[in-house]
Amino acid sequence: MNGTTTVSLAGVGGQGIILAAAIVAQAAMAAGFDVKASEVKGMAQRGGSVVSTVRYGRQVWSPVSPRADLVIATETLEGRRALALLADKGTLVYATTEIAPGSVLRGERAYPTDLADAARARLIQLIAVDAEALAIEAGSVRAANVALLGAATHALPFGSGAWDLALEQTVPPKILELNRRAFALGRDAAAPTEEGL
Amino acid sequence: MERIPFLSGNEAIARGAVRAGLGFACGYPGTPSTEIVEELARLEGPPLVEWCINEKVALETGIGASLAGARTLVTMKHVGLNVAADPFMTLALTGVNAGLAVVSADDPGMHSSQNEQDNRHFAAFARVPLLEPADSQEAYDFVAWAFELSEEFDTPVLLRSTTRISHGRGRVVPRAPVVVEDRSYVRDIAKYVMVPDYARERNRLALARLERLRRRAEESPLNVLEAGTTDIGIIASGAAYTYAREAFPKAWFLKLGMSHPLPYRKVAKLYDSVSRVFVVEELDPFLEDQVRALGLPVVGKEVIPRNGELNQEIVFDALEPLLKRRPPRRKRAVFPPPPVIAPAPQAADDLPVRPPVLCPGCPHRAVYAMLRREKVAVMGDIGCYTLGALPPLLSLESCVCMGAGIGMMAGINRRMGRAAAVAVIGDSTFFHSGITPLIDARYNQTPGLVIVLDNRTTAMTGHQGHPGTGLHPDRSSGPAVDIEALCRGIGVPAATVDAFDEEAVRAAIREALAGDELRVLVALAPCILMDRGPHEGVVVDDDRCNLCGLCLELGCPAVVAGDEAIEVTSDCTGCGVCLAVCARGAISLPSDAGGDES
Repeated sequence: MNGTTTVSLAGVGGQGIILAAAIVAQAAMAAGFDVKASEVKGMAQRGGSVVSTVRYGRQVWSPVSPRADLVIATETLEGRRALALLADKGTLVYATTEIAPGSVLRGERAYPTDLADAARARLIQLIAVDAEALAIEAGSVRAANVALLGAATHALPFGSGAWDLALEQTVPPKILELNRRAFALGRDAAAPTEEGL
Repeated sequence: MERIPFLSGNEAIARGAVRAGLGFACGYPGTPSTEIVEELARLEGPPLVEWCINEKVALETGIGASLAGARTLVTMKHVGLNVAADPFMTLALTGVNAGLAVVSADDPGMHSSQNEQDNRHFAAFARVPLLEPADSQEAYDFVAWAFELSEEFDTPVLLRSTTRISHGRGRVVPRAPVVVEDRSYVRDIAKYVMVPDYARERNRLALARLERLRRRAEESPLNVLEAGTTDIGIIASGAAYTYAREAFPKAWFLKLGMSHPLPYRKVAKLYDSVSRVFVVEELDPFLEDQVRALGLPVVGKEVIPRNGELNQEIVFDALEPLLKRRPPRRKRAVFPPPPVIAPAPQAADDLPVRPPVLCPGCPHRAVYAMLRREKVAVMGDIGCYTLGALPPLLSLESCVCMGAGIGMMAGINRRMGRAAAVAVIGDSTFFHSGITPLIDARYNQTPGLVIVLDNRTTAMTGHQGHPGTGLHPDRSSGPAVDIEALCRGIGVPAATVDAFDEEAVRAAIREALAGDELRVLVALAPCILMDRGPHEGVVVDDDRCNLCGLCLELGCPAVVAGDEAIEVTSDCTGCGVCLAVCARGAISLPSDAGGDES
């Protein structure tokens, strides 16, 4: 709205959504935008659905918006759920990670498989990333959030210098190198020239 | 002929409560409220009545008694409601079982108080009905009205007195006893566990209730339009009404006994009858501001002092000079339309929801696994352990505010005369506000069991320190308070067990439920998130597992229903809680299954 772009990051509490959102916000600032961001903490952290939001533009007033231009989802069902936030023709970058919620664990519900159909109906572009595999390749599965961000760079107008700075400013030094590797692997895996996106 | 009793307002409230079927009363002494509990204790065949350690614990105990089916009165002075504000504000969402009235005795003029706050705002703040008696007879009669409104509208009722009402005396004609409907404890997790999802729904109901209450205030016989013979009208309640009545005996009056929510149409009716209207009220322009918001010309606090008590002369001297002025131009009242209440957002797609859950390896689950086998109501409050209320565990039955579970347990058990309820409370919450209700339960000789779920941190908010750990924000450490020793100091038998030691936890629960004394069990095991592993998961014997689903009822995210047998994900920490519930011995610890036993 009003020249402001909204990026929502969706996932399961504990997947590193807050760190990922902080990196996006830093990158947007490094790229010269005004930025506001909002995160959900507290009870929702304990394995529940969580959404953080980063908004950038020339001047941003509110840190939240009910509509997103881009969703980055660290889990497939949460990506499916976040379609409701996406504007038509928006982009969903999602990890192929599947974490069953309680009702699915207990066999009461089925894990949904209609993401592609639902996205197609609204002309939403899907970018699927095996973020966990990339993170393991980089050295730890816990860097899956950052590997996914690497893949999302193609949908965001921030230069590589801005992302580099954002990683350095946001990720704790002890795990910075690992996360840089994960980020690069994600970026390469989702490069627009490759097939199958 | 029987002599008509000559009673103070406080004595009248006490007797009016008994006449209205009172089952339980408690409070903390504070002028001018004190004599209500004292009078109740003096009455023959008194209901359960007790002093509590403070007003917050008194209200929480009262909530427990109401849940257990007792019409309940909780008394305090105005500043006491500040102490009880935490349960009061959320009680307004949960509502009640048997009627519950909170008496706030305010002290305009500060005869015996540190401030003179106007607690009528609390009724508006919490969106609950407000009753204001103007003399002892009304004080007596209004208690029954309060209980009836409370039960009919499923809300606490604020019964507000002031010094001159509580300590003034008058004749009180006794009324026939009220026949009270029998009520007993009803488990209703979505009503009494105010986790965000449930609280949002209760909040919608409370907002809708307020509009229904306004319609009731329009019809209520407590709000009376009294015809006069002059052209002036006065809106007043409580003591201020009596002063205005004497100062202007020929005026029209809108006498408000149920003064919140304000009956707009009755106000407008007064304006139809007279050409000028005054609001006479002590302290804040509580009624005046609302009348002004209807677009009606009104005179109030520009001549009536905003501080201190009023009297007949103050009221007369303030209003009399104005009577010579030309009356204001007649205006029509504009009734505010009822507010929009945002509905629950409808999910665009029917997707499986993902509520927050207790983590794999969480020690709280181990305790709930034992508790859910016992026929006992589990009162709780706020922390990760509140998640025990959600499916499939469904093991926690209340969450009103920090520390409330212990008082509520006490209220239920006092009413039932046995340990029908237990309380769970986290270690950080115990220090926050669990100690006072524990002392209170000891003082009032309440049977019961308080289980401190001691995971050595303030887990839900992100592992902050607290007095039990001695850890500070900069991670430095200082002296730590020992919960078990603290309980012993209070005189409550306490024991510490490993939260995962199911035999010890179960034995402690059963022992407490069978006895008639108060006990504390510290179920100790650090938050699993502070122990990042590596962990080895449990092992499932596919041949023995028949997918009965008992382990799935524990709500562990690491246990999945497979096609042939239970499957365990890599998130499993090997805590072993599922072993204890498996009837077929199909689950074993990795070491027992031939793994490394280091």
